[in-house]
Amino acid sequence: MSEYNVVGQKLPRVDAVEKVTGAAQYGADVHPAGMLYGKVVRSKQAHANILSIDTSEAEKLPGVRAIVTQEDVPSGSRIFATDKVLYLGEPIAAVAATDPDIAEEAAELIKIEYEVLPVVQDVMEAIKSDAPRLHGDATKDGPNRRDIITKIKQLSDNQEVDNNEEIRKLEAELEKYSDEIYYNISAETHNAAGDVEKGFAESDIVVEDTYVIPRVHQTYMEPHVSVASADSSGKVTVWASTQGPFAIRSGIAGRLGIPLTQINVIGTTMGGGFGGRFGVIITHVPAVLLSQKAGRPVRVQMTREEEFLDGRPAPGCVIKLKTGATKDGHILARQALAFWDSGSVSGASIGSTIRVRGVYKIPNIRIDAYGVHTNKSGTAAYRAPGAPQAIFAGESQLDEIAEKIGMDPVKFRLMNMREEGDAVPAGGSEPKVGYKETLEAVADAAGWWNRDADENQGWGVAVGDWTNGCGPGGVYVSVHEDGSARIFHGSMDITGTDTAITQIIAEILTIPYKNVTIRRGDTDSAPYSTGSGGSVVTFTMGNTAKLAAEDARNRILELASERLNTNADNLELREGAVHTITADPPKSITLGELAAFSLSTTGGPIVGKGSFARKPSTPALAAQIAKVEVDPDTGRTRVLKLVASQDVGFAINPMAVEGQIEGGVVQGYAWAMMEEMQYGENGNINPGFVDYRVPTSADLPTVESVIVEVPAPNGPYGAKGVGEPPITPTLATMANAVRDAVGIRITELPIKPEKVVEALKNNGHKA
Amino acid sequence: MAKHPVNLKVNGDEHDLLIEPRKTLLAVLRDTIGLTGTKEGCSTGDCGACTVIVDGKAVTSCMVLGVTTSGKEITTIEGLASDGELHPIQQAFIDTGGYQCGFCTPGFIMASKALVDENPNRTEEEFRFALGGNICRCTGYTKILEAVIQAAEEIRTAS
Repeated sequence: MSEYNVVGQKLPRVDAVEKVTGAAQYGADVHPAGMLYGKVVRSKQAHANILSIDTSEAEKLPGVRAIVTQEDVPSGSRIFATDKVLYLGEPIAAVAATDPDIAEEAAELIKIEYEVLPVVQDVMEAIKSDAPRLHGDATKDGPNRRDIITKIKQLSDNQEVDNNEEIRKLEAELEKYSDEIYYNISAETHNAAGDVEKGFAESDIVVEDTYVIPRVHQTYMEPHVSVASADSSGKVTVWASTQGPFAIRSGIAGRLGIPLTQINVIGTTMGGGFGGRFGVIITHVPAVLLSQKAGRPVRVQMTREEEFLDGRPAPGCVIKLKTGATKDGHILARQALAFWDSGSVSGASIGSTIRVRGVYKIPNIRIDAYGVHTNKSGTAAYRAPGAPQAIFAGESQLDEIAEKIGMDPVKFRLMNMREEGDAVPAGGSEPKVGYKETLEAVADAAGWWNRDADENQGWGVAVGDWTNGCGPGGVYVSVHEDGSARIFHGSMDITGTDTAITQIIAEILTIPYKNVTIRRGDTDSAPYSTGSGGSVVTFTMGNTAKLAAEDARNRILELASERLNTNADNLELREGAVHTITADPPKSITLGELAAFSLSTTGGPIVGKGSFARKPSTPALAAQIAKVEVDPDTGRTRVLKLVASQDVGFAINPMAVEGQIEGGVVQGYAWAMMEEMQYGENGNINPGFVDYRVPTSADLPTVESVIVEVPAPNGPYGAKGVGEPPITPTLATMANAVRDAVGIRITELPIKPEKVVEALKNNGHKA
Repeated sequence: MAKHPVNLKVNGDEHDLLIEPRKTLLAVLRDTIGLTGTKEGCSTGDCGACTVIVDGKAVTSCMVLGVTTSGKEITTIEGLASDGELHPIQQAFIDTGGYQCGFCTPGFIMASKALVDENPNRTEEEFRFALGGNICRCTGYTKILEAVIQAAEEIRTAS
C-alpha cells in the first residue's frame, strides 16, 4: 500500500477528453477573424550569393496582402538572407495572402537570382583548408597542436633559461600537424582529468574507433506554426506552438525591438517538441512581421518538407574514441576527438561529448570537441541533446573491450560503474543513484542471465545517463466554496506534466484528483515559467506546485483554527476537511465550508502561491537490452525483444512514465536503425516521410518498461525528470545486439540493411 | 478559381458548399466547415494524422479532393462520441495512455475505428501491421496497440 493517495497512481491525464475528441486547440487550429495565410520564401540553393530579389510579380497577384524581406526588419536582426544564402531552404522573404494556395503561388512568383558557390556538407571535409568557407578564414587548432602550442608558450614565458632550441624543435613538430588546422569551426570545448597518455600506457587493451552519427529530425507530428496579430497600438499577440512561451516572448522582443509588455504569447497545445520547439525565428518572427505589415492576423505554418529543410534538427557528428582498460576489466583512460555538425550557425551540443565518460569510474579522460559549419540549417536540442551520439560511441566501444577481455557486458559495466560517494569530475561526490539497480533490473527482466540465441540472433545491452534541468516557475492554487481547487500556471504541458502537477496538488490538499482542474495562462497573465524542455517540468513545476499547495494548506489551517476555535497545531487536513486532533467531541470543517467562510468574512479567496528557481538535480540512468535477429542475406534486423529500465526517482504517474520510456526507446531505435537526414550536391534530399523513414507500429515489438525508483533528494516525492534518459542508450543497445548476432561492428549509423550486407561480405559471409 | 457546389455529409450534418476544386477534403473540413480535430501532419498522405472515414473506409483526407466526396458519408473525430458518451476506442486510448501530445490521436482513432468496424477479431500482430500507415512520434506505439486491442475486445463482447 502506497503512503500516498494520488501521486504514484496510474490516473488518466487531465487533458484526456480533449485529446481523444479532437477538441484540443493546436497552433493551426487558431483562426482569428480576418486571418491571412503566410508562406516563407526559401532559398533553392545550398550556398550562393543573392544577386537580386524581385517581388514585383508576386505583389500583383490578387489576394496578396503583404510581402516582407530583411528590409522590413527595423532592428536589423538577421531574419531573412540578403546577400548570401548558407543552406537550402534558408528564408529570404515571406508573403501573406487571403488563401494558403495564393500565398504559395505568390512565394513562387518572387524571383531570386543566385550566384552559386561551392557547397560543403560533410564535417570532415569542412574542416580542411580547401573547403568552402561559410563565415571566413579563421582557424582553430586540433589536440596535438594545442598541446605543442601550450608547451611552446610555457617555454617562451620562461625568460630565465635559454630554451630556443627546444622551442625550435617543438615548432618543427607543430609543422607535422598541419592537418590539425581546422577551418569552418563554430565552437570548441576541451575537458581533461588525470593523464590519458599514462592511462593508455598502463592499459592491457586499447581500442580505438571512429563513430559517425547522422543528423536526425525530432519529427514532432505537428509542424511549426504560429498565428500573430499586431494591432494598431503596437501590441502583438502570438499564438505559438512552442515549448517555451516566455522564451518566445523575449525572443521576439529581442529580435524585433518590441517592449516585452507589448507582446503576449499564448502557447497552444503542443504537437510534440522533443527539444526542437524553442526556436523563435522559424515561424513566429515572420508571422509578426507579416501581421505588422498587413494589419491583419497572419498564420505561418510549415509544411513537412519545410520542417526538414529549415527545422532545427539534432546535430550529426564524428567521434574518434579511444579507450584503455586492464585485462581484469578496469577502464583506465578514455579520449575523444569530436566534430559536431552545427550547420550554418553555431549551437550544436558539442559540450555533450563529455558524456562518452558515461557512469563509469574513469580516472583519466580527455575530450576535444569542435562545432563545424556546413551548408545546412542550424541545429537544436533533441531529447537529451548530444547524449545519444556520445553514448553510442562510448557504449559501443565498451562492448568491444568486454569482448576482448572475455567479460560479460553487463558484469563489465556493473564493475566499472560509479558508486555513491565517488568523486565526480565536476567536483563534489556522486549522490545515491540507482545505476547498478537499474542495469540489474533490466538484465533480470529481459532474461539476460539465461539468454538464448538461435543462429543470427543476438543480445545487446547499453546504459545512458541524463540529469534533468531546473528553472524558475510559479504556480497559484485557489480553493473554492465547493471544495474544488484550481491551478493556474504558465508552463506548457509536455505530455503529462499538467497531470503530474494536478496529482501533487490533489495529494497535498487531500481532495479527489477529479476535483482539481488546471489552467495554463498566457505570458500576459501567468507567472513566469521556464520552458518545457530538459526534463525540467515535473521536477521544477512539481516542486513549485508542492510549495503552492503547502501555502494554501497553511492558509486553510489558519482559517480553520479561527473557525473551530483551536490552535492550528491541533488540526490536520485529511480527505478534504480539517479535523481537530484532540478535541472532545471532535470537530471538523470541509474545505468548501472554509472557502465559503473565508469569502463571507475577512479572509477572501483561499490562494496558495508557489515560486521556485532551482535545487540540485540527481542523475538518472536508463538501461536497455535488445534481442535481435539479423537476416544475413537481406541485412534486415528484426527486434525480437526490447526491454528498458529507468531510475525515475519516483513515478508520480507510472502510466505517463512508462509512456515516456517507450517513446524515448523507439526514437532511439529509429536513430540507430533507420533515420538519417541525407544531403546531396545541393542540400537535403530526403525532406519527407517516404525518404526519411520514421518507425511505425509495424517496425517494432512491444517495448517492455521497468520502473526503478531510487528517490532524488530534491525531487517532488523523489521524482526525477523522465523524458530524456530513455533515448540515450538505445543507439548503442541496437549496435551491440547486431554485433552479438552476426559479429559485425557497425560504427556508422543508421544500421541500414545494405550496410549490414556490406559488412558481412567484408567479414567473409557469402550471400 | 471557379468554385464548385458540393453536398458533404459530415458526422450526420449536411453542408452545401461552394469549394475550389484544388482544395483537399482536409482543407474543406478544417478551413471551410471549421472541424479542426482532423490534423495536417505531412500533406503527402504519409503520416495518417488526417485520417477520416469516408463511406466506411479510412482515408487520408489530405490526399482526397473535397469535390470528389460530394454525397458521401464522412465521419471525423468530432463525430465519434455520441450523447456525451465517448466511443469505446476513445475511452481505451484514455485508459491505456495511448496518446501523449495527441496530434496523431484523431487519425489513429479513426484508422482504428475503420479497422475494428471491418473486423474486430484481428490479432495483435494484424493490428500492428494494419496501423502501419499512421505515425506517432511520442508513444512508441506500445500503448496505442494496447488501446486498440482493448477496444476491439470490448466491441466484440458487446456485439
